[in-house]
Formats: sequence, C-alpha cells, structure tokens
Amino acid sequence: MSELSRSAPERAASPAAEAWRMFRRNRPAMLGTAIFLSMLGVVIYGSLFGGDPFEIVWAPQTPPGEDGFVFGTDYLGRSLATGLLVGGAPTMAVGAAAAVLSIFIGVTIGALAGYYGGWVDNLLMRITEFFQVLPALLFAMVLVTLFSPSLVTISTAIGVVMWPQTARLTRAEFLKIRELEYVTAARAIGAGNGRIMWRVILPNALPPLIVSATLTVGVAILFEAGLSFLGLGDPNTMSWGMMIGANREYILDAWWPVTFPGLAIFLTVFSVSLIGDGLNDAFNPKLRER
Amino acid sequence: MSITRRKLLGSAAAATAVSAGLLPLPSLAQRRGGTLVIASSQVPRHLNPAVQSGIATGVPGTQIFASPLKFDGDWNPQPYLAESWETAPDGLSVTLNLVKNATFHDGQPVTSEDVAFSIGVIRDNHPFKSMFAPVERVDTPDPHTAIIRLSQPHPALLLALSSALCVIIPKHVYGDGQDLKTHPANSAPVGSGPFKLVEFKPGEQIRLKRYDGFFIEGRPYLDEIVIRIIKDPSALLIAMENGDADMYPYMASSQQIKRLGKAEHLAITDRGYAAIGPINWLAFNTAKPPLDDKRVRQAIGYATDRNFITKALMRGFAKPQRSPIIESSPFFNPKIPAYDLDLDKANALLDEAGHKRGSDGMRFSLTCDYIPGPAEQQKSVAEYLKSQLKKIGIDVQVRAAPDFPTWAKRVSTHDFDMTMDIVFNWGDPVIGVHRTYLSSNIKKGVIWSNTQSYANPKVDELLNAAAVETDFAKRKALYDQFQMIVGDDLPIYWINSLPYHTAYDRKIQNPPVSIWGPMQSMDDLSMG
Amino acid sequence: MDTVVYVARRLFYGLMLMFFVVVLNFVLIRLAPGDPAEVIAGEMGGTTQEILADIRATYGLDKPVATQLAIYLGQVAHGDLGKSFFFDQPVARLIGTRIGATILLVLTAQFLSILIGVVMGVFAARKPNGVVSALVAVFSTLGYALPVFWTGIMLIIVFASWLPIFPVEGMRSARLEGGGFVHVLDVLHHLVLPAVTLAIIFLAQYARLARTSMIEVLGADYIRTARAKGVPERRVVFHHALRNAVLPILTVAGLQFGNLISGALLVETVFNWPGMGTLAFDSILRRDYPTVMGILIIGAAMVVVANILTDLGYRLADPRIRTEGGRR
Repeated sequence: MSELSRSAPERAASPAAEAWRMFRRNRPAMLGTAIFLSMLGVVIYGSLFGGDPFEIVWAPQTPPGEDGFVFGTDYLGRSLATGLLVGGAPTMAVGAAAAVLSIFIGVTIGALAGYYGGWVDNLLMRITEFFQVLPALLFAMVLVTLFSPSLVTISTAIGVVMWPQTARLTRAEFLKIRELEYVTAARAIGAGNGRIMWRVILPNALPPLIVSATLTVGVAILFEAGLSFLGLGDPNTMSWGMMIGANREYILDAWWPVTFPGLAIFLTVFSVSLIGDGLNDAFNPKLRER
Repeated sequence: MSITRRKLLGSAAAATAVSAGLLPLPSLAQRRGGTLVIASSQVPRHLNPAVQSGIATGVPGTQIFASPLKFDGDWNPQPYLAESWETAPDGLSVTLNLVKNATFHDGQPVTSEDVAFSIGVIRDNHPFKSMFAPVERVDTPDPHTAIIRLSQPHPALLLALSSALCVIIPKHVYGDGQDLKTHPANSAPVGSGPFKLVEFKPGEQIRLKRYDGFFIEGRPYLDEIVIRIIKDPSALLIAMENGDADMYPYMASSQQIKRLGKAEHLAITDRGYAAIGPINWLAFNTAKPPLDDKRVRQAIGYATDRNFITKALMRGFAKPQRSPIIESSPFFNPKIPAYDLDLDKANALLDEAGHKRGSDGMRFSLTCDYIPGPAEQQKSVAEYLKSQLKKIGIDVQVRAAPDFPTWAKRVSTHDFDMTMDIVFNWGDPVIGVHRTYLSSNIKKGVIWSNTQSYANPKVDELLNAAAVETDFAKRKALYDQFQMIVGDDLPIYWINSLPYHTAYDRKIQNPPVSIWGPMQSMDDLSMG
Repeated sequence: MDTVVYVARRLFYGLMLMFFVVVLNFVLIRLAPGDPAEVIAGEMGGTTQEILADIRATYGLDKPVATQLAIYLGQVAHGDLGKSFFFDQPVARLIGTRIGATILLVLTAQFLSILIGVVMGVFAARKPNGVVSALVAVFSTLGYALPVFWTGIMLIIVFASWLPIFPVEGMRSARLEGGGFVHVLDVLHHLVLPAVTLAIIFLAQYARLARTSMIEVLGADYIRTARAKGVPERRVVFHHALRNAVLPILTVAGLQFGNLISGALLVETVFNWPGMGTLAFDSILRRDYPTVMGILIIGAAMVVVANILTDLGYRLADPRIRTEGGRR
C-alpha cells in the first residue's frame, strides 16, 4: 500500500492538486470535513479521558441540562455525556476497519476479475453475485451470533457482506483502463502483470474508488449501529448504537437517551457522505463544468 | 386461612369432597360478549402446556384446555373437570369424579381415558419430572371416574392437577403414536376449555373464540380473547394506554407499573402470582473456590442490601425475599436468617476465611453473569453488586451474555462463579424448589437444575421426606428445617420476588387473581 | 424466444446461487459452537439427558454433519425448510405467515421512494443550480445518513404522544368491527409509518440518481432538438427525458432489493411489524437455526427473483439490450 501511495501522487500530481482545489471550494464538502474532524476529535478525546460509561452516577433519566448533566442520564442513571464520548470510538473503529476490509477484498477481487477477464472474471463475478444476493444485515447478524460478538467479529462480518459493490466498481474501472494506451505501453516495455495491475492501473482507478471507500465508511458505521441497536454488539463495549437499543424501551418517558446517540451517528455519517460527494465532484471533470 | 391451606396442602389424610355447588357466586351484572385483548411480551412455542412449561404457553393453554382442578386465591382446590375428588386414607390413590357433560372442541366427550392418557403424557414429557413421578398408573373403572395410583404419598398432587400443570388433552387426537413433544396438534390444539383456537400466528397473535359447548353452563362470558405479542415495551405501553389492549399480565418493570398506574382507565394488581412464586436471586457456584467456603457466601450476603435493591433499584414495587420458598407460601419460614446489611461482619468473615486484602484493597475477583433481557431484575442488580462488593474487597466482573442460550449454556455447564437468575416456585416446593437443592439433581447441561453443585445430605433427607409427607404440619416442619439449613449454607442469596403485576381495564370484571392468575381459565371474566 | 432462453439461463444461475447459499449457511451454522438440542430443551423449560437424546433424534442432530447437509438439501429441493427449533412448526409455514407482511412493506417503501425520489430529482434537474436542486441535494444526503432504526424511533415518539394519528405498532388492530375493506384500510393505516421510515433512506438515493441522470439526459442532442422544435418544456421533461432517465433508476432499484430487505429487518423490529425481519431477529436470539437459515434462503431467493425481474423490465423498457443479448 505504501508503494501505491508514493506512486499515485507522482503520476497524477496535477489532477490531485486540481481535485483538492475543487474540493476546497466545495462548501458542503468543507462543512463535512469540519464536522468529521470535530467528531473524530471528540471520539479520540473520549476514548482517552471519557471515563467509565457503565458507571451509575446519578438518578435515572435525569433530563438534559439538569443537575449538571448536559445530556442527562439514561435508564440506569449513567451519564449520557460519558456514553456519547466513549461510545463513538467502537462505532468509528468498526466502521473504519470494516471499510478497510471490504475495500481490500473488493479491490482485490474486482482488479483480478477486470484485469484477467475470461474465466477468472466469470468465477469471481459469480462469487460476488453470491454475496450480493445474501441479505447483508441478516448475514452479518448470523456471523456475529455464531462467532460471539466482539469488535473484531463485528468488523469482519460487516466487511464480509459489504465488498461486492467495491468489487464491481473496481472491475469496471479495470476493464476500462486496461485497454488504454499507457497500459499497452507498459506491457510493451515488459512490465509484469502484478506491476501493471497495482502500479499502473490501480492509481488511475483510484478516484472513483476513493469516493466509494468514503461512502463505504458511512455505510459501515450505520451497519455497526444497527447491529448494536439490535443488541448484537459487544455487550461489554458501550457504543452509540447500543445506547439507542438499551434505552429504546423507555422512549415514552425519556426521549434524550435515544435521541442524542442517534444524532451523533447521523452527524458522523452525514459528514462522511458530504466528503464523499465533494470528492466525487472534485474528481469528476464532467460535473466540474457545471 | 390456615385451615383452608391445610385442606389443600395436606389433603391426603382428609378425604375431601367439594361439590360444584360450592363455587363462589359470580359478581353481579356479568355481561356476555366482547373481546379481551391481552398484551404479552412472551412468545409461546406452541399451545400445549402438557409438554411445555412456562407462562407463554400457560396463558393461552389454560383457556384452550381444561384441567381436573382449579385453585382460588387462597390456595383452595376447586372443582373444574373433576366435580369432586377423594384422596385415599393411605395417600396412595386419588379418585377424580369427572363432570358428565364436558366435551372437547371437536365434540367428543371428555372421559377418564383422556385423563389417564394426559397424566401419562405429562409424566413422560413435561420438564417438571417431580409432578407425576410417583404416579404408577391411572385406573379408569368407568368413563367418568379416574383413579390415580401412586407409589408413594404425593402431597403436591392436587396442585399438580390444576391449571397449566395438568391440562387434559384428547387421546383421540394426541394418542396417534406421534412424539408428543413435536406433535402437530400442539400448534393446533383441541381442548375442552372455555375457548377454542381460531388463529395462531407464531410470535404475532393468538385468537381464541368462545366454545359454545363448554361444560360450565352460561360460561364463558367473553366472545373472544386475543393475545397480542408485542416485544417492544414502549409499544406495549402505548397499546395499553390508548385502549388497543385491555390486559397486560406478568408486568415486572417498575417503570411500566408506575406508568400504567397513572392511566385513569386502568387498574393495577399484584394478585394472581402466588403459585408461580418467581424469585430473583444470586446463585453461587459452590464447587468453585473461594465460593466453596460458606463464609465467603455469607460475607457476600451480609454485604448486599436487599432493601436497597427492592426500594431504590426496583422503586419499591418488588418485595424482599430471603428464602428458597416464596414468602407468600404457607411453607415459608420467617425465622430463616435474613443477612441484613453488615459490612463489618462481611469483612470479618472474609478475614476469617483467610482472604486477606491485597495492596489494592482487593481480596479476590469473581465473575457475575446475568440473564440478558429486561435489565431491572438482572443486569442492574449485577452492576449494583459490582459496586457494593468492592466495599468488602471483592472485585466483581459483570459478564454479559449476548443472548439467553449463551447464558443458559454457561450456567448449565457450571462455567460461572456467580450468576443472577430467576426461578419459579410453581406452587408446591416439590415442583419448583427441590430441583435447585437436591444433590441428585446436579446435572451438567441442564438449566434450572442444581447448577450450584450444592450438596448437603441433611437437605436431601429433609426434602425427600417432605416430598412424601402428607400431613401439612409435619411437612411444614420439614421445610422449616430445610430453610434454616440452606439459609446458613447459603448456596443462593435470595433477593426479591419478581414484582409481577397485572394492568387491566377497569371495565373488566373478575380479573384473574387466583393463585394461578392468568394461567387459569378466564371463563368468569367479563367486559363491563 | 430470445427472452425465454435468457430467462431460463438466469433462472439456472439463480438456482446455482441458491444451492451455494444453502450449503454455505448450513456449514457455517453447524460449525458454530453450542448444542442446538440444549437450546431446544431449554425452551421447553428445563431438561434431562433423556429428553436431550430424544430431541437429537427427532431433529436428526445425532447424524453426521455431511448426512445432515444431504438431508437438508433434499428437503429444500422439495420446498421443505425443516422444522423450527423454537416453534413446533415447519419453517416454511412460519415464513409463509410472515412473508406477505415483508413484501408489502418492502414494495410500498420501494414504490414510495422511487415515486417521490424521481419527482424530486426531476424538479431539481430542471434548474441544476437553483434552490430546489440544492435542497434536494441536502435532503438526499440527510436521508442517506439517518440510521433507519433511529428515524423509526423518532417517528414513534412523535406519533405516539404528540400526534396520535398513526398506529406505531403492529400491522392490524386486534379489535376491529367490519368487513374486508375495513381491514385493508386498517393495514394501510398501520403501514404508513414503517413504510415512510424505510422509504426515507432509499428516497435519498433515487432523488440523487434521478437528478444526475435527468441532468445528463436533458443535455442530450435529441432533447435540444425537441426543444428547438418547440415541444413544450413539460412534455420534453416528462415525455422525452424522463423515459430515458428512468432506466438507471430501474437498475439501481433492482440492485437495492437486498438492502431494502436489510432495512426492513430493522424497521420491522422497531415497529413490531409481523414480517420476516422480526422473525429473523427473534430466531437469531433464540438460536433457532432452521428458521434463520430458511429466512436467509428465502431472502436470497427474493433478491435473485427481483434481479431477474429488473433485468426483464430493463429489456422490455429498452429494446436495444434485447438485440445485444448480453449482460450489462
């Protein structure tokens, strides 16, 4: 991966700079970046100094703002502020890990299929299709329950169900690029398949993949939240989704323990998708004209 | 009170016959018709209580099936399918005289053959082995007389003949040779109770309709009972509040009790749960050091504040419980040690047991499991224990389980230090209490057996004697002694009885408040 | 004729896929730790070793895994999905009581989101730099980022106490007087909140897609020609352009079907909707593996069928593809 990142900007130095310029001028995208960075800051701070989110500190269901609890307390009297601070880390970590995993699988399979074509393509696309027809959330739930929930199993389960989209996209890009002149040229000077795939084609296929990766992070976060909400998260790790799930039965008496974690998830995913949109616009010259 | 209880519980000696005429008169102005919508969060697997224990099957099951006896609110047996009964002086047989006009929902008459068949099925298939274990055979001298022959006196028999514990199932339907545990008719039951099944949508809804051929004249009053399964507690509350549902039994969360108590059109009662006897407790793995030392268990008992748990955590709705026998039972012994909060004594006991505090102030650490689900009775208490036992130098690791089977697996394979648990008394100690303390019932892999690995020969002896003692006073003396011993050994720290409540619409007359509550025929219930 | 061959081929692939779905799930679930017999016995309310042995025999759990797989495959081929560990009923029958509710929810949400999404997209595309367009862009991003279960809960809070005009739970009123039409209305009344909740996420995607493809189509030569010829703008947009812009939406709609089912699982749980999602969730928590497997299989089959139908619709809508005959 490090080789890749070294060669990519080299080759696409000016388009990347151009894209960054576009991105910076895109106000929603910059707003997304700002939100995301502040959420990230809060989450990092929280996981270092947040305290014990399971500790019962005050009367149950203290409304927000009362008795010094900015976000109030939950049904057991645990501070929601602490929960919000600490609960973001697993959500984001799982989101990121799952996204990395799904992108890794997706890019590998898509690249091999698109580059080699023929029976390799056929076989790999069948496998992709196979994973695409499985109802993703249900399959992830089964995986998590079978192998007992922990951050690792949850990330794996989400990664395993999410990669087909990336694989299809990568394959399409590879199919397109492998016929281009500079690829033929590289082949002519004797570059091996591996070199052509990872050092010639991949860097040029990166823009749409980066956009898709950004969106994948968003989806993965929603996935993690959904699993924890259903009570299939790691029971010993406080997460935003888990806070919603645990307090759900008390929504008639207390709206805040469900509302705030939901807002936190929403803001994170929202910021990520704003960034994704911004990147999309920045990389896509066609849209740039408008 | 004690006399009537004795009538039930020590019934074998006195040959008691109660005729149908002694039934309490129905209250005035019972209206015919109407639909009762019961909200429930419990999902029944099927509707045949003969092979399935539990509330979820018991509530619809007792409307569909009739049993030989009913019980009133004061532990007195009442005639139902049996219009009278008689226990032989030697306690080795009970004769049931069946009503003559009872029919199953398919029109076939209910006969002694069906009674004999049903008792055999329950003995062989129901998880509560002790209910009919002493039954050798059931004789059927005529279609309306069944004589239950016992190998030993069995004081719990009359209770075991009531409610969901002994539903009479038709031999001509269930006796076709198929395995009863998986019989197709379990989900399409044919009973002789006041209501017949019209719709069973698993996990969603059960619709029962008045059976016009029901053997009690003029009953039931209702046209329909709908049991609506709503797993989300707030949705369930909304349904009760806006009148979509009329009754919500087995409500144990203080938040729900409090909230529904505020609704003007609803009444709340905690009656109807005497027989089920639900106890919330902390169980110790007595085979595992340091919990194999009773001083350690006692120290934990002294360090835990039962009153705080019931008053603060459960907002005063739950009652403290300090005995293996539910405190509302006639067999409860109030002399059992209570282990009132005493941290000094707890610390002294731990010192005496040789567990010195380390440099961090901790002596040792223990895990504590709990049943996943409604947090108030289990998880909250486990977390309270964690903070409370820290005070006496015990580091408690609360171990969450993602789902019920995971918890059950840990506990039944004895892979735990301490666990929170909820276990029911089921009316008679023989049925619901003995299983937890008999050393012969230490069965790995079996949940709600003696998973504490508790073994005390004296306790075994007392319980085995109480199982065949038909004299109420003598039997009570045996249980008194038993409670004093387990109270001292403390294989379990009993915390509270589950605050089961029923919320019901005020227009309902005769809500189910017998000892079996909603798990008994609601033929006398009416709407307005 | 060509189409028939095509459908036959797709069906064959679909069946192959289903075969692997069955095998994979079976192997996965049998690999899992834990003894199903204990789970079943636990559900019965306690147990003994004899009961355990009895249950193993009844459910065929005493046979080797390979034998169990072979038996299961044979059963599935005959439409028998085995027997639920929890409910004393065949899985196929259980799913049968639930599948209608899920299809109703999913199709309603799909219809709502496409309809509203396309309308929004079209309006946005007419003035790509206008206020409406910006609003649609923001709204579609918002909708996409909302955790669907949270949206549902928020709606419940609003409609349970503040604005009690829609039922927040279930699919039918328990107590209802009147004939068949009243029941239909009752179900529709219950359907509003879950369908809207589910539609919101997908609405965002369709609006975005409709906007992009409308912008693209509206810039095409033949549209310019039509405009030049003096065809009224309304007719240009809705007659000429929309027809072509709908094709990519149709494709995505087909591909979204799997995600819709995932979303439905959460929405059903929130609203106590008696569909396959709630059954799946409860069954997972109960370790009722036959039911979970059955739902996975039926869910996958629904996606396969939806994909085939989408392809067919696509071929019917765009005759060019028929002559090419290939896959996209």
